Amino acid sequence: MTVTTGRAARVKTRYGAPNHEGRIWLFMRLSGLVMFVTVVFHLLYMHMVVRVENITFENIDARWSGPAGLFWRLFDASLLFIGMAHGMNGVRFSINDYVHNRFLNLMLTGIVYGIGGLLILAGSLAIIFGVGGLGRLIGMG
Amino acid sequence: MAALVESIYKGITYRGAEGQWAWILHRASGLGIALFLYMHIVSIFVAAIGPGPYAWVHATLYTSPPAKVLEVFLLFGVLYHAANGMRIIIIDFFPTLGKYQRTIVRIELVLVAVVLVPAAIITLHSLF
Repeated sequence: MTVTTGRAARVKTRYGAPNHEGRIWLFMRLSGLVMFVTVVFHLLYMHMVVRVENITFENIDARWSGPAGLFWRLFDASLLFIGMAHGMNGVRFSINDYVHNRFLNLMLTGIVYGIGGLLILAGSLAIIFGVGGLGRLIGMG
Repeated sequence: MAALVESIYKGITYRGAEGQWAWILHRASGLGIALFLYMHIVSIFVAAIGPGPYAWVHATLYTSPPAKVLEVFLLFGVLYHAANGMRIIIIDFFPTLGKYQRTIVRIELVLVAVVLVPAAIITLHSLF
């Protein structure tokens, strides 16, 4: 009988069964655990050990092109990807909490994810080509 | 918009004590970090273009006196978001610890202060 479809669907739903939002919930916790180590290290190392005054063009180039350059580029890439995924999701949670108009919600989420996607691309290009690398590629800077 | 105004009003008037304020600070610091992250990635992209444009970014957005003051907010935001995120993870995976959540909020604030106070002094030292 077709009238019982909705009820049958509900009965089939197991408590605790993995679904999309459930996986996102787990992702937020796991990425948070990883970033508890990586982001706090990045923050304290850059602000207390290197000092912001010394994060010059030459300093970034020395770190990215030095003997441990591959490590730093991969480390910074992990900050970029995990940080942006966790952050964009957090912004989406906030939009869902306050913007209940479906069209406005979709628009705002689209804008946030659009800018986020462009920034991930921009950050990736910077990490791949290195400081000054994009300028040399397009013949400026 | 109405939901936002109502949420702010309820956020101020609802007497949810530690858990409520921990949640508000978590959201505010998270949105603040996301905003900083946008600027941070753009600044690295500018560095990829050349030393000239980056020198301006470094002088204006990172080392100017207003930037040093905002840096303290960033330090607090990241340290708090990290510490409170650990509380959320601990209580989510060990629900029996939920009855101590108010104590954990206080412990986490002390830990944040222990790291933040010397970090803020070091950060603002150049201004004086």
